[in-house]
Amino acid sequence: MNRSRVGMSRSAGSDTRAAYLFILPPIIGFSVFVAYPLVRSFYLALTKYNGLTDPVFVGLDNFRRLFTVDPAFWPSLKATGYLVVLYVPLSLGLGLALAMFCNQRFAGVRIVRTLAYLPVVLPAIATITLWKFILNPQVGLANTILAKLHLPTSSWLQSPSMSMPSIVIVMLWGVGGTMIIFLAALQAVPTELYEAAKVDGAGPYSVFFRITLPMISPIMLLQVILQTTAALQTFNQPKILTGGGPGFSTNVLMLSIYNNGFSNLGRIPQLGYASAQVWVLFILIIAVIALTAKFSSLWTYSDNTPD
Amino acid sequence: MTTLPTDPSTEAPLALAGALDEPVRRPKKRRPLGTASWYATALFICAVMVVPLLWMIAIGLKSRTAVFEVPPKLLPHEFHWGNFIKGPQAIHFPRLLLNSTIITALSVLGGVMTAMMAGYALARLRFPGRKMWFYLFVGSMLLPGVVGLIPLFQLYKSIGWYDTWLPLIVPAFFGGNPLFIFLARQYFLAIPYSIDEAAKIDGAGHFRIFTSVMLPLTKPAWITMAILAFQASWNDFLNPLVYLYSSDKWPLSVGMASFISPFAGQTPDWSYYMATNLLYMLPPLILFFAAQRYFIQGLGSLGSTTQK
Amino acid sequence: MKKHIIGTSLACAGLLTATAACSGSDSGSKSDGPVTVTVMTWESAQTNAAIDKALAGFKDDKITVKRVDTPSGGYGDKLASLTQAKKLPDLFWCGNDTEQQYTAQGLTVDWAKRITDGDGDFKAGNFVGSAMENWKTGDGQMGGLPSLMNTYGIWYSVDAFKAAGIPEPKAGWTWDEMYSAASKLANKGGAKYGLVADNLTSADAPFSMSMYSVSAGGAPFTDNVNHPTKAEADDKYVEGVTKLAAAIKSGSVAPPGYDASNVQALFSAGKVPMMVGGQWLAAGFQTDKPKIKYGFAPFPQVNTPTTLYDSVGICTPKYTANEDATYKVLQYLNTKVWDAVLPASPVAPPAYTPAQASYFDALTKAGQTTVVDTVKADLSAEKTVGVRFTTTWASQVADLTTAWYQPILSGKKPISDLQTYVGKINDLIKSAG
Repeated sequence: MNRSRVGMSRSAGSDTRAAYLFILPPIIGFSVFVAYPLVRSFYLALTKYNGLTDPVFVGLDNFRRLFTVDPAFWPSLKATGYLVVLYVPLSLGLGLALAMFCNQRFAGVRIVRTLAYLPVVLPAIATITLWKFILNPQVGLANTILAKLHLPTSSWLQSPSMSMPSIVIVMLWGVGGTMIIFLAALQAVPTELYEAAKVDGAGPYSVFFRITLPMISPIMLLQVILQTTAALQTFNQPKILTGGGPGFSTNVLMLSIYNNGFSNLGRIPQLGYASAQVWVLFILIIAVIALTAKFSSLWTYSDNTPD
Repeated sequence: MTTLPTDPSTEAPLALAGALDEPVRRPKKRRPLGTASWYATALFICAVMVVPLLWMIAIGLKSRTAVFEVPPKLLPHEFHWGNFIKGPQAIHFPRLLLNSTIITALSVLGGVMTAMMAGYALARLRFPGRKMWFYLFVGSMLLPGVVGLIPLFQLYKSIGWYDTWLPLIVPAFFGGNPLFIFLARQYFLAIPYSIDEAAKIDGAGHFRIFTSVMLPLTKPAWITMAILAFQASWNDFLNPLVYLYSSDKWPLSVGMASFISPFAGQTPDWSYYMATNLLYMLPPLILFFAAQRYFIQGLGSLGSTTQK
Repeated sequence: MKKHIIGTSLACAGLLTATAACSGSDSGSKSDGPVTVTVMTWESAQTNAAIDKALAGFKDDKITVKRVDTPSGGYGDKLASLTQAKKLPDLFWCGNDTEQQYTAQGLTVDWAKRITDGDGDFKAGNFVGSAMENWKTGDGQMGGLPSLMNTYGIWYSVDAFKAAGIPEPKAGWTWDEMYSAASKLANKGGAKYGLVADNLTSADAPFSMSMYSVSAGGAPFTDNVNHPTKAEADDKYVEGVTKLAAAIKSGSVAPPGYDASNVQALFSAGKVPMMVGGQWLAAGFQTDKPKIKYGFAPFPQVNTPTTLYDSVGICTPKYTANEDATYKVLQYLNTKVWDAVLPASPVAPPAYTPAQASYFDALTKAGQTTVVDTVKADLSAEKTVGVRFTTTWASQVADLTTAWYQPILSGKKPISDLQTYVGKINDLIKSAG
């Protein structure tokens, strides 16, 4: 982010007034929709609260129950971790491969790019429900095609070992979102570098590892952070596809929070308990970002650092 | 964080902004792959993306019992075009379409307007607290969406917003999607400052510079944002489900859930569902194809405005 | 229109920061003027249309009945948000567990006195006795009235049984006969499993297994689903679990995790030869005629016939505008509406016994005689077991079931772990007091 600030404004006073006028809406929004719920949910995490009667302060009791009693908590942490470990590398790898593929000049490359991005545009609810049916073991498209090709079929979402990989497959159908960002990054790599490498007689692999990868590493870092935080918050897919099952195999933290706090057909919600889970998730996300940022200097390339 | 969590794939495009500071050049001819293998791969990619959608239409054309034929047939042998009428009728499609359109239009307007204004100030004006606010806004996009769900529900209910569209629209007008602010700021950073200076010499104030100089220059940015905001609002299911009581206020996403049966073992009407699903997907599809010049290509070349 | 909305929202949001209220359009209600009574169901569009038609016949100068739509796919989430917002409709469809929990929280109106002293035919004595008993809370309150009875049994494909040369299931058949049939039917004619038994493998599975132990003369899984004092797995219970786990291991019964949401269609298509299910599937078979010949048999037994008890009903929130009006509509729903709805869509026998005739007539007319017999047998079964806890901590039991009971069924945990599982539930019961 090297930016030039030639002739930055002269009249600081009027700038300040104008600037605060311009950012007033998000400041209000931040206070009401971000800061307030955050503080409030921290308080609720320390209470027993069903949303109907006043919250009762119980100290760290919710956390104690979470870590020592609740049979669903550790499995849901495990499921969340499994999802992240499975999804993030695949999404980045496939996204980059697809971007490199679409960064070549061929007739029809625009069609491929557009179609690869298409699933990202469609409503998540619509595509996920469609995939639920595609993965139906008896009448779904997936097994029909596999059977026609004489390949082994699977019970997909209904098998404890395949359920999470199946969810990841559905998520990867939207890999076009990752692709498009890498594509932009690839197009920003100066072509002189490739020309110089060509002159030096470098092969495609060394070009990839010596030029492409280092040049896009800042974007890679951003992608790792964004994809990981998003993956930690995966909700729609398990909610619609499996409801967390079979067993706890896809009962990710977000789903568990939602079920405790909001849903659970006709049951009294446990809002305080759910808030405690929210804070566990929150701390997880912060930890992931902090760790990624801390170790990023080991593998990202930068010519100068932003302010 | 006021929006409920979306899947990573739909949030990801916004991250593009990080790439925008780099100058973009068209790639030169590089063909590490042979032509035949390139086209074979291209065909495979297209098939993976398109075949599920074609299959959806095929299901939409089948009768409700033919869907479960054994062994499954890929194509319908009888075409039930009526599903495309009866399916939508079952959920009062026109009414819900109108609701979705109004809710989405207002959220898009609010989201884009607020983000552009804030992005402009954060990128081009010097003021105390600039960095702090920027980091607060951007940092808030890393918060889990559920943090807000419980306290905000209580808040909306206490101020009488329950069963109104306000919880679905108002947050957008207050920077509800911090990613847009991030995107807008990155885009504004890439515009040369000489343009502001020139406008100021002509006697233009900040508001005029913003509306008549900056907005036209940043068209690809706000079109991209508008599409993303459209998607987010059009797709949103949980917020309207939770906040809207009266069925005449529902958006389409909630109506779609009416097809799913709550009873164990009772099979939903999949052919109606798939037929209606196609209609539900059409508006974002049309919008995407209409604006894809700005979107896919525009996204890729956003940074090139530096050279203009 | 649009401008107006923006204006309002901005104004509201501005006030919001000053923590002032911006009140929505709450509709107030008067006690003596005209009243609107709202009704919310989880029924399908077709059934709702029939209910609307029947409700149009409700004649009262001061009462208007209005049915509010809700997507059946999101009924649970919807109910949760309505409860939080204190906007529950005057009459809403609810399960026995919801009624118990909501009433324990003081959320519902108490109908106990009205229905006990009921005038005319609409009184407690005319309801199915076990349903009335189960809808009462510990202190005798009734936050709603049971409306429909759910009975369970085994749906079977006559064609598949004939093809395999096994006698069809009938009242009095045994669990061993069921498992042996399942093993003969598995992997035949496009079917993978011989038996899909959601009730025996889902979160409610531990309760369903009581049918085995009770029928064998043992103890049920819990002494009372509403006010439990203990859970237990005696020798007979363990025997039942062992047999089921063996059948799952052999591949003849679908394992826990099998998605039952399309099982009715698969059954109709001949891909599932035998399934455990509720009588409500009969209504679906009326509209989509299955390709196969089929029947409905009671649950198997060991010694005595035992079946599951379950019922759904209609609840009323404490803040209903006019109790008398709401009760009038409730009475109309329970007595008259079923007569109009059930002939077209025979989903379930009403809990109000005088209304049951129309249900059985409809089934008889449609030729579903095995359903009539089985439902009648179920309703009069001498021993019934509850389908799940109705207590406020029931969701924690469901988590324990996922963590322990289901892995035991799938063979991932030893049968001996059943006692650990039961011990944990007993801890919950104790800590809940």
